[in-house]
Amino acid sequence: MRILIVEDERKLALALREGFEAERFEVATAFSGEEGFALASRERFDLAILDLMLPGRGGIEVLSSLRTRGMQTPVLVLTAKDTVDDRVQALDLGADDYLVKPFAFAELLARTRALLRRGRPPPPAKMRCEDLELDVDTHSAARASKSLNLTAREFEIVEYLLRHAGSVVSREMLARDVWRVARRATPLDNVIDVTMARLRRKLDAPAGRRLLHTVRGVGFVLGGPPQ
Amino acid sequence: MTPGRLSIRARLTLWHAGTLALIVLVFSAAMFALVRVWLYRDLDQRLERDLAAAAMAYEGGPEELTELETRSSFSLFEVVRGGRSLYRTLAWQRGGFAAALPAPGAGPRSWRAPDGRTYRVGRRDAPLYSVYVAIDEGLLRRTLETFAAILSIGVPFAAGLALAAGYLLAGRVLAPIGAMADKARRISAHSLAERLPEGNPRDEFGRLAAVLNDALSRVQDSFEQLRRFTADASHELRTPLTAMRSVGEVALQRRLGPEGYRDVIGSMLEEVEHLTRLAENLLALTRAESGAIALQRDRASLGALAEEVADSLRVLAEEKGQRLEVDASLPAFAEFDPSVLRQGLTNLLHNAIKYTPAGGSVRIAVLRLPGANVGIEIRDSGPGIPAAHRERIFERFYRADEARSRDAGGVGLGLAIARWAIEANGGRIELESELGAGSLFRIVLAEADARAAPRDPREARIAAPLDLRHSG
Repeated sequence: MRILIVEDERKLALALREGFEAERFEVATAFSGEEGFALASRERFDLAILDLMLPGRGGIEVLSSLRTRGMQTPVLVLTAKDTVDDRVQALDLGADDYLVKPFAFAELLARTRALLRRGRPPPPAKMRCEDLELDVDTHSAARASKSLNLTAREFEIVEYLLRHAGSVVSREMLARDVWRVARRATPLDNVIDVTMARLRRKLDAPAGRRLLHTVRGVGFVLGGPPQ
Repeated sequence: MTPGRLSIRARLTLWHAGTLALIVLVFSAAMFALVRVWLYRDLDQRLERDLAAAAMAYEGGPEELTELETRSSFSLFEVVRGGRSLYRTLAWQRGGFAAALPAPGAGPRSWRAPDGRTYRVGRRDAPLYSVYVAIDEGLLRRTLETFAAILSIGVPFAAGLALAAGYLLAGRVLAPIGAMADKARRISAHSLAERLPEGNPRDEFGRLAAVLNDALSRVQDSFEQLRRFTADASHELRTPLTAMRSVGEVALQRRLGPEGYRDVIGSMLEEVEHLTRLAENLLALTRAESGAIALQRDRASLGALAEEVADSLRVLAEEKGQRLEVDASLPAFAEFDPSVLRQGLTNLLHNAIKYTPAGGSVRIAVLRLPGANVGIEIRDSGPGIPAAHRERIFERFYRADEARSRDAGGVGLGLAIARWAIEANGGRIELESELGAGSLFRIVLAEADARAAPRDPREARIAAPLDLRHSG
């Protein structure tokens, strides 16, 4: 999978590159709008990550010229401006998703994967991670073959974690995708932490071994300790 | 310069002087006319007396007429009988007064002689004869002319005097405004505590100064708030930055294993998360306060909102072993934007749970309030808020307890956001608290008529379950 990152903040661009390369993506970076536009029109990428605030040729301009030229590559827009108008403008011009700075890398990774998955068959109804099993159709979950008594929200969290098994899920992602709260209010973080702590007790009780891990300062991950 | 560009003082002076000049002018003209009428009446009376004297002299005989001509004060007369002049004085004859006679039966008239002098000429018609007398009007005319001269000098002089006096007076009257303007000009951001001199509080200027002083007080308050906000905000920013910096610096000085470094980075990321949350909340609040958020207010149920918020935060109360009671059975409706008010209520309830010790109780209740209001009360069994903090607890970053709040993980904006959310929906927030006996936050909103038909399906969805519950 080839990804193009257009970001003028070098430190951020290089960190993202390193992060994506660690996830076995092939990454090209451009530090200006012109460079990004040239790269995107010359080579083929599976996905472009585009900063909106670029010196010279801005992200919006790059995006609209690429789309006018018929480029179909999915584009994920990064922006520090998060008013509704800014988002609408970016999406109208052909962006496929947007992320407001500062963002968690875990979330960028998850969204990138989601964009690349588009058009592929939906994930299976039965999922598993080590000895945790989940069946979306029958709405049942089991750990070490012992049935788990989960609340609706806990079930949703487990399902979400399983879909992202092996990668870290940030609180922002849980807030938006499970609690469905657009803007993260302070109290929700506490609610998430408490809910995750309870869920961990439920998940780990039957097996006596940890499956749901907290990555300090980042989020949560299901499955063996992330390295 | 057009009148609009003149100073108030000049305009006031001009109006004042102009009005006064007009009054003096009208008064002088009336005076002049009156004096003129009086003088002529006086002259005509004299004429009448002279006519009577001449008639008497005629009846006494021709010698008496001659004697009258030589001895009396008047020497202009003629006596006519049957169209023939019986006696006429020399001056009469020379003056050519024959042409000056008023018509028979008419009153005296003024006549201008060919030599330029003016005479008052009268006649008395007896059955057998007529007597004509003329009196020189010169004195009267000179008197009137002098009077007119006095007036024509006096009126402009009075007008000029009025102008000068008006200017001085206007200056004195407007002096307080000038003083206020000077004072106001000297008041800057650094001397906002200064006030304008108010003088007599009952007069117009006193009231104006009082109004301006009130406005200044409000400006001073908001400056003060801004200053506190800046200080608090920089404190809130510095704390996590300092933590990140020291954690990073200390970690670099030591040699750590991979786990150690993970821990350090994780710790720094926690502070980053804190800063992110701070920036997000601050931005949201700033945007809200600048009115950039458009509210969608519809009639909706407070009970449904209370239950929803309580459900979402219940885990927090359970985790602390607190009792979270919800009494949302009362059907209470108000006009509000559910997403905005939800955030406000969430922050209030979260605050109550946060500051209530483990094992305590938090109660959220929907109630009807006097004055066609409805409300939601959040009562906790926490430590209570000291009176000194109650006023300011809704300010951004204000904290009643500096030491503990960081542990509780907040950024100090929750109550400020809550207050905005409630006030933006046309409501108000009330706080009652007693040290050691807990606090009571009350959201007060104007009641919307519960019987009114819901205006859109969203409302029907909220209203329907409640109606069922109460009928069954």
